[in-house]
Amino acid sequence: MSPARVILAFIRKDFLAESSYRLSFSLGALATLANLAVFYFIGRLFGANLAPQLEAFGTDYFGYVFAALAFFGYIGTGAGSYAGRLREEQTQGTLEATLSTPLGVFPLLAAMSAWNFLFATFELAIYAVAGIFIFKLDFPTANWPAAALVFFLSAACFAALGVLSACFVMLFKRGNPMAWVLNNFEGLLGGVYFPVTVLPAWLAAVSNLLPVTYAVRAFQLALNKGAGVAEIKGDLLVLTAFDILLIPASIWLFGLAVARARKAGTLGEY
Amino acid sequence: MLIEVSGLEKIFPAPFFSRAAPLRALTGVTLAVGPGVLGFEGPNGSGKTTLFKVLAGILETDGGTIAVDGQAAGSARLRALAAFCPPNPRSFYYRLSALENLRFFGALAGISPAQAVERARELGARLALAPADLERRFDRLSEGNMQKVSLVRAFSRRAPLLLLDEPFHGLDEKACAGLIALIAETGRSSTVLLSSHSRALLAAAADKTFRLEAGRLA
Repeated sequence: MSPARVILAFIRKDFLAESSYRLSFSLGALATLANLAVFYFIGRLFGANLAPQLEAFGTDYFGYVFAALAFFGYIGTGAGSYAGRLREEQTQGTLEATLSTPLGVFPLLAAMSAWNFLFATFELAIYAVAGIFIFKLDFPTANWPAAALVFFLSAACFAALGVLSACFVMLFKRGNPMAWVLNNFEGLLGGVYFPVTVLPAWLAAVSNLLPVTYAVRAFQLALNKGAGVAEIKGDLLVLTAFDILLIPASIWLFGLAVARARKAGTLGEY
Repeated sequence: MLIEVSGLEKIFPAPFFSRAAPLRALTGVTLAVGPGVLGFEGPNGSGKTTLFKVLAGILETDGGTIAVDGQAAGSARLRALAAFCPPNPRSFYYRLSALENLRFFGALAGISPAQAVERARELGARLALAPADLERRFDRLSEGNMQKVSLVRAFSRRAPLLLLDEPFHGLDEKACAGLIALIAETGRSSTVLLSSHSRALLAAAADKTFRLEAGRLA
């Protein structure tokens, strides 16, 4: 069985299912623009003045939040989509049928969220088009290779967190502490909506435990300040360490969770 | 292919933090089957579906052994060898057409899209499933036609071990006749196990019938 064929089959299936809800499909793209507009007007409210916390990034509020939202929108896909997709398969009753085929755990993980990543890429394109043509943003000093490296390391790290989150869904169906942390604290503590230097020291200490903090900071510096690999190497090393730890651990634990569900006979439950 | 099952046990644990007792679904099931058609009957809850799911590699056993051609076979090997038709159609993507579902599940079993479509049309015709129904969205099919699509999915794997759990459920007379002929044909080269509550249908489709009671072969 070719993994590429499995991935394509999942993408086709998810595209057909998603596009069968036509209104929801169009509204999803519109919501991205509406979300950006909110921050655009907040940025206009405060003018082009640089807040002291933004000086390190060399951009105004809207430039900062635009980059963070576009970036986090994509890497956050990995964090949320595995558990979401798995839950859908459980409630539809298709999980057991899918796992009654010779499909292995790794191809399943590679294929399960492929559509979500594809749609996130489409949303990223909307961000880029809106940023250039509607909000007239420019990133003249951006170091694109460094930004791409941060992007790749961060996407892998968040996908691993997403797979860990899916383990809870596999075992407990509902009640997912990992998703709860990712949904409620990554935005607050990770520097997506404001730099983490705004946070009090005790909260900043907590934010240092989260990969999103390093990911967003390194991405902002590469994009807005033109920082190269040498300047953000600390953040890159931390992201690499998270990847080395989380990627194999998440795949191994997901395999264990599937085996546990097979043993307990809960693959078909929701 | 010879499948030897010895002392098979399956116990479903009670849910976390519940005071319920674990459910012993299979107790020491032993049998040996080669190519041909075997029927299974027994009251509700006697362990037929559990036995089929264990043999399909969907469930892990809690005891006993399964060997295929003399070699111990774990659940991964069984999933590669077996095709399972579940007793209800809640295992399909309802927003997709029947044909798209068959293409998708075919891909997971290593069947190319063209083969999946070809087999769907061929097997659909054998089971009196109209070509228009293959193109119809799954949730707009009648229950009987959903069952036919489920059967097409299982048969199109052309697996050496075919497990049909209540395959006649919801089928009309013509489809039942088509299914019996298809089972007989498949049983010439593969092992087909099927369960039913209808003794007449089991007698028509199976060479031999076993009875399961409270997780044991009676």
